[in-house]
Amino acid sequence: MSTPRFEAFLAKIYVDDRARTAFLADPRGEAVKAGLTEPEAEALEMIDRTGLELTARSLERKRSRHSHQSNRK
Amino acid sequence: MRIMTSTADRIGLGWRPELAAGILANLDRIDVVEVIADDFFDAPRRARRSLRTLAAQTSIVLHGVSLGLASSAAVETKRLEKTARLCAEVQPDSWSEHLAFVRGGGIEIGHLAAPPRTIATIEGAAANLASARKIVGSAPLVENIATLIDPPGSDHDEAAWIAKILRATPSDLLLDLHNLYANALNFGYAPLDFLEQIPVERIAAIHLAGGKWIGHHDARRLLDDHLHDVPDPVYALLEEVGARVRQPLTVILERDGDYPPIECLLEQLDRARKALAAGRARQAELSVEAVA
Repeated sequence: MSTPRFEAFLAKIYVDDRARTAFLADPRGEAVKAGLTEPEAEALEMIDRTGLELTARSLERKRSRHSHQSNRK
Repeated sequence: MRIMTSTADRIGLGWRPELAAGILANLDRIDVVEVIADDFFDAPRRARRSLRTLAAQTSIVLHGVSLGLASSAAVETKRLEKTARLCAEVQPDSWSEHLAFVRGGGIEIGHLAAPPRTIATIEGAAANLASARKIVGSAPLVENIATLIDPPGSDHDEAAWIAKILRATPSDLLLDLHNLYANALNFGYAPLDFLEQIPVERIAAIHLAGGKWIGHHDARRLLDDHLHDVPDPVYALLEEVGARVRQPLTVILERDGDYPPIECLLEQLDRARKALAAGRARQAELSVEAVA
């Protein structure tokens, strides 16, 4: 497992609120819609939900901090 | 590249513009300075000249944050070419990158993310590291990252995954002890078990940092934010590594914000020096006992 398509799916649910919300409501459905394989969809059904939420929040804070720093330069 | 094989442990600090004055005023207490490579890829000529001046005054190591080497997708050649140009210009003692993916499907994650720990990402990392060696001219050290999520789709634990990447490449390990500590707390394993599973003779450098707890109650996780002082257990891990490895280590303290007075950071460097020395002393005692 792990293909560029799987990593792209992870990148999307880490940074895109709407994609993450849709995914959490129907992990398998969203995985299939993205063209992921059956084992990949299964892995995503078992995702560490706490970790996903905390990761998304942490990434959002980091992006916001970097954007403030860029604006300051 | 000025590949430098140090014969002694070195303790240093990450270069940040906010710390510049404090670092320059205390180079006698800082053996080596780590510079974020990406900050200088597209920097004005004047900034790059300042970096060359710094490199003339002290030992420099470069640290990359955006290559995304641990991925089933190929690393971008243009980013490696920028790394190569900077290495040629600054002549660092070494350069390093993370075992992370940072983009996918055209989406920039904006930080380091743990890829699925699988054979595919081991092979992807090996291929990307081969490209890095070819274009930059030397092998980067590779760093373990902190993660708040147990990477989905993984079929290796972190230690086994890192050990296989090290076996597949000539790159040595930049072991981030706060990342190790945070992942161990967040996912329920013992840091010393991790050290048992990786080839410790391949550890070339160490990162130290601090973090904070986030989340609520049973859903708390330790975030490696580089905004806090190094916690006691991380110094204990540094001593442990010092006791287990024979090769010299370059130890870097990373601080990315909420900067305390420089003296506070220098005290943390002193404490790291003492912890590492205590580990070395333990190793020496064991060697003497083994001979006797």
